[in-house]
Amino acid sequence: MSEHQMRVDWPACKAHGICAELLPEVISLDEWGYPIVHEPVKGDVLAMARRTVKACPTLALRLTQPPPRHA
Amino acid sequence: MNDPMLWFANRGTGVVLLILLTLSTVLGVLSGARVTTGLWPRMLSQGLHRNVSLLAVALMGAHAVTAVVDSFVDIRWWDAFVPFAGMYKPVWLGFGALALDLLVAVTLTSIMRHRMSHRPWRAVHVLAYAAWGLGLLHGLQMGTDAATVWGAAVNYTCIAVVSLAVFARLGMLARSTVATS
Amino acid sequence: MKAVATAHVAVHNDVGLVPYVSEGPALLAGIADGPGLAAHRRRRGPSPTPSAEALVDMARAVDLRGRGGAGFPFAIKLAAAARRKAVVVVNASEGEPASHKDAALITCSPHLVLDGAAAVAHALGTREVHIALPSEFPAIRLLVEKALRERAAAGERLRVQLHDAASRFVAGQAQAVLQLLAGRENLPVTAWQPEAVSGHRGRPTLLSNAETFAHIGYLAGVGPQGYAAHGTADEPGTTLLTLRGDGMDPEVREVAYGTPLTDVLDEIEMTRPLLLGGYHGTWLKPAQLRGLAISRNDIAAAGATLGAGVMLPLAEGWCPLVRTAALVDYLAGQSAGRCGPCRNGLPAMAEALGALVHGGGPVRRVEELCGLVVRRGACAHPDGTARLVTSMLQRFPEEVDSHSLGTCRHSREGALV
Repeated sequence: MSEHQMRVDWPACKAHGICAELLPEVISLDEWGYPIVHEPVKGDVLAMARRTVKACPTLALRLTQPPPRHA
Repeated sequence: MNDPMLWFANRGTGVVLLILLTLSTVLGVLSGARVTTGLWPRMLSQGLHRNVSLLAVALMGAHAVTAVVDSFVDIRWWDAFVPFAGMYKPVWLGFGALALDLLVAVTLTSIMRHRMSHRPWRAVHVLAYAAWGLGLLHGLQMGTDAATVWGAAVNYTCIAVVSLAVFARLGMLARSTVATS
Repeated sequence: MKAVATAHVAVHNDVGLVPYVSEGPALLAGIADGPGLAAHRRRRGPSPTPSAEALVDMARAVDLRGRGGAGFPFAIKLAAAARRKAVVVVNASEGEPASHKDAALITCSPHLVLDGAAAVAHALGTREVHIALPSEFPAIRLLVEKALRERAAAGERLRVQLHDAASRFVAGQAQAVLQLLAGRENLPVTAWQPEAVSGHRGRPTLLSNAETFAHIGYLAGVGPQGYAAHGTADEPGTTLLTLRGDGMDPEVREVAYGTPLTDVLDEIEMTRPLLLGGYHGTWLKPAQLRGLAISRNDIAAAGATLGAGVMLPLAEGWCPLVRTAALVDYLAGQSAGRCGPCRNGLPAMAEALGALVHGGGPVRRVEELCGLVVRRGACAHPDGTARLVTSMLQRFPEEVDSHSLGTCRHSREGALV
């Protein structure tokens, strides 16, 4: 099972903070209101992570899949 | 059709539409201002704004349909979205049509929000303020109820609430610009 | 070891001094003959035109790394960009105030840089070349225009466009340069794909530092064997260093990899703390300098990187903490202001570091801010700044303790500057 990564488009992020409300398992806020992605996105929160990406008012979130690791 | 029920429905939807659009505008301002308390998370402003707006758009459809179908006043189907071409009170009716056009644009772009880039979406979205104002003027002059006590109360309350929200928000923005400059 | 000044670079540093350049073994060979095309061709021969495969092989054979600071393997970048409708971008904007090597190349050996750009363009099957130049030094642009006229007269058919980069620190960042090319503000944006895959107008874009192109021009002319005539078996070739770039006696010098540091710095400088890699670099203690050579591996083992070859020995009577605090003040002011963590975090870091250095403020706050800004921006400006501060805390714990007690070991009177 590959883990997804929540990535932030930093110039687009305007610290609305909705992402931290919707996905506290993955995202918390720093002292200025900007998101800290402190965990990768595991399977059990993936659906919520997708909702969080859609909910960002400035579309500053992106869910990326890490490239498959070669043996 | 010339059924007084259509006329009542048209007036009713008009009043509720104004209230819903006012509510939606205030919720939109709250979202932008990132207002949040322990009991009111930010996603609540965003979620309510979206749902109230969709409800308003549905009601707007009903409002336009009842106006067209009612033959007491000659409003043709295209007068609902082609402004100022009407036979009856063309200017004030036209404001309504313009408001409808703007809100259709806002709705369509918002449905497609993830397929377009943020800046053009936002440029269209701020037109919602204009749509609110045009809708208000439309109601003041078209509406037979504006002259009543309760009608005036609704209108003044909506104006007051939106003005308060907008000026408070402008004040916030001015303060944050001063702080960073 | 004092070098003999052969030429003066067509720029001046922040204290108004003009860096001098000396003859070098490879890139800077023969600069006494002047920057003209005729002298260049007499010395180097015709403009090389290897195929993409040949050029990738050559670059891989000598492990050619980019000279813009990241040290990325050039062969990989070239292979990635070798697709249709590629674009070549020469980054000569050199936004780091203490670096003058790119300006030195343009002043003394522009045709080596342009040979490299032409060789890469030919290998990628494109004629489109862009050059980003420092807008605060119009002389550099004039020198490039002159060199291009000479080449056009000699029959070279390239479509070269010149761009004036804003005179700020982050203007030379790769995405910022691409924004400049696109006619937008010369500031960084988020990139979801490397520019070699999708860059200018979505096309494969080979963007590299001016010195990297000079190495290509040289390598394509002399071949991997000739290139490896200098340097070591593990690290063939040479590299350009800027010494004392933002202070007194600024100098650009070409050294072969493996050259001992004692051949580059004088005796006094070998006893002083050294800031290696520029304003986003790392500090080294004097004890670490003994036995160190200009070698990527050696320097990595010491916990530092060469970066863009900027070497800043701390002047006598100066304290590394005070120097770092002043640099962080500058770097905080140079934030593009586009990303929240950088726009807020860097000024907060400058404030916390100032408090630590001048008034005994807590170290923990500085460390916390370093952790908060890393990997949270569209470019590496906050990361580089955090690296500088972290290295200061790591190398100079006694100084940090002294300052928290209100004294400084480095200043003449023992008082805080």
